[in-house]
Amino acid sequence: MDKVLTVEAMVAKVPDGASIVFGGSSLSRKPMAVARELVRQGRRDLTLIVNIGGPEVDLLLGAGAVKKVVYAFVGFEILGLAPHFRQARQRGLAQFEEWTEYTVIAGLDATIKAVPFLPTRAGLGTDVLAVNPAFRRIADPFGSGQELVAVPALNPDFAFIHVNYADCAGNAAILGDTHIDPLAAKAARTTFVTCEKLVPPEVLRRFGRDASILRIWVDGVAEVPWGAHPTGCAPQYRFDLDAFTQYLEAAAEPERWAAYLDRVRQLSPEEYVDHWGGTAGLQARLRV
Amino acid sequence: MNAVDYTPDELIIVAMARELGGEYLVSAVTPFGQLAAVVAKHTHAPDLELLATPESGAGSDPWPSISLGQFQGLSQGAVPITMEDVFDAIFRDRFRIWINPAQIDRHGNVNITAIGPWERPKVALVGSRGIPEDSSHLSQMLFYILQHSPRTVVERVDFRSGAGWGPDRERHLGLAGAPTRLVTNLGVFDFDGPDHSLRLRSLHPGVTTAAVQEASGCPVVIPPDPPITPPPTPAELAVLRAHDPLELRRWEWASEVDGLRRRWQEERAHLPLDHPEVRRWR
Repeated sequence: MDKVLTVEAMVAKVPDGASIVFGGSSLSRKPMAVARELVRQGRRDLTLIVNIGGPEVDLLLGAGAVKKVVYAFVGFEILGLAPHFRQARQRGLAQFEEWTEYTVIAGLDATIKAVPFLPTRAGLGTDVLAVNPAFRRIADPFGSGQELVAVPALNPDFAFIHVNYADCAGNAAILGDTHIDPLAAKAARTTFVTCEKLVPPEVLRRFGRDASILRIWVDGVAEVPWGAHPTGCAPQYRFDLDAFTQYLEAAAEPERWAAYLDRVRQLSPEEYVDHWGGTAGLQARLRV
Repeated sequence: MNAVDYTPDELIIVAMARELGGEYLVSAVTPFGQLAAVVAKHTHAPDLELLATPESGAGSDPWPSISLGQFQGLSQGAVPITMEDVFDAIFRDRFRIWINPAQIDRHGNVNITAIGPWERPKVALVGSRGIPEDSSHLSQMLFYILQHSPRTVVERVDFRSGAGWGPDRERHLGLAGAPTRLVTNLGVFDFDGPDHSLRLRSLHPGVTTAAVQEASGCPVVIPPDPPITPPPTPAELAVLRAHDPLELRRWEWASEVDGLRRRWQEERAHLPLDHPEVRRWR
């Protein structure tokens, strides 16, 4: 079985207006090559679903590709706030729906379990329930008197996940934190995996339980070295502070941001790696 | 008696550490939160189970890093756990975390979402993250603020990312997830004033009750003759300093941007590069 394709071909299957769940978490293992390719191919009106979102959401907002963001968090962690997310929230440039970490998990899990919602206590007593029209308050049907939050199923059109290793059938191994990725892979209608390296199936099996995504959930796989850059991909590389500094400087000024986006549109995934010094240059700065 | 030299950041971290105890999974997303857990584990609370990242690395001996929490977990052979494990621990009250909100109010509601109205904020922050889960399940809710001011300690938060005391809590949540402690640069506080309002427990050395009231955007219940926060012990300071090779506590305290780049370059030197568990996957 061979599900290998290019990142360009994956993204070509995503129509304008699609909903996409991204794996990874803030500055960790974000499918950034995919986010860049969505910008390159000029996708519009996307709905982005993230648990802990970061640079992927910010880039797509900054490129005007987004209609709506479903999120528990969007930020750059130790580097501060996400500039385009902040601007878009403050100026109302897109629709935003604030969820929470577990409710995003529950929404994906509801789809996986083929039920319309899952109940939780998370969110009770907070203003998330006041601003998020997706949730409902329900009473315990067994009569305990407990009020609960009904979290509706999240059923994204696409999941994009970047992993350390995969085989050509789509089995995927994540060596650092798995974040919501195994859930996202199961909940989306179509799941695409990008990986640092494609390996033969017998090698992939050696990763044991780190092979946390099975091929039955995966529709396509692409080898994209440095595909999470400028976020990190443990244990292969850490996040690139120099690249983030450049991003944040560009985002602060419209002219520089336009030039930054031009460069994103010009560079293929291979040219992107060359632009950052090639494998040798990236390894020298980012390998632990 | 020799006075022990310490800095304000170290006093705050040690005050935070002393609130932790028992056998819990302790997560951290900030250097202060991580160091508080480390100091507690290596002094009075050896049964704590520390995570190297916000969601994994049980059994590790973490130190605050810029990007390397996951690398520490891998190189130390920590037990890999999942997001679901973390939320199970939260829902079953076997989890603790020190949270650093942008705003906290007199009833312990906290905000990391937005300054101004949610629909069109003056400053959009990051979103509620996992605080709603914590504030509806944990029996101990721990907050810290490094710049105690009328902008951070307020009468009413602009958005409730986490549920404090009040009618909503009584109706829906009971005691689970109620705020218990606040540590700031001025003192240690609880919510045991009238109607579960903010109350001073101890003043940091050199701080006056008038300074606390002046720096707060809401009334603070001040007991007569409040105690002074005990200074760090030599043992606590030794653990703290040994576990912060990049001195990220000072970076969080002072928010020096240039200091981040130097530390980012230096952090690689502090990892066991040749650890077989890491090399194996290369």
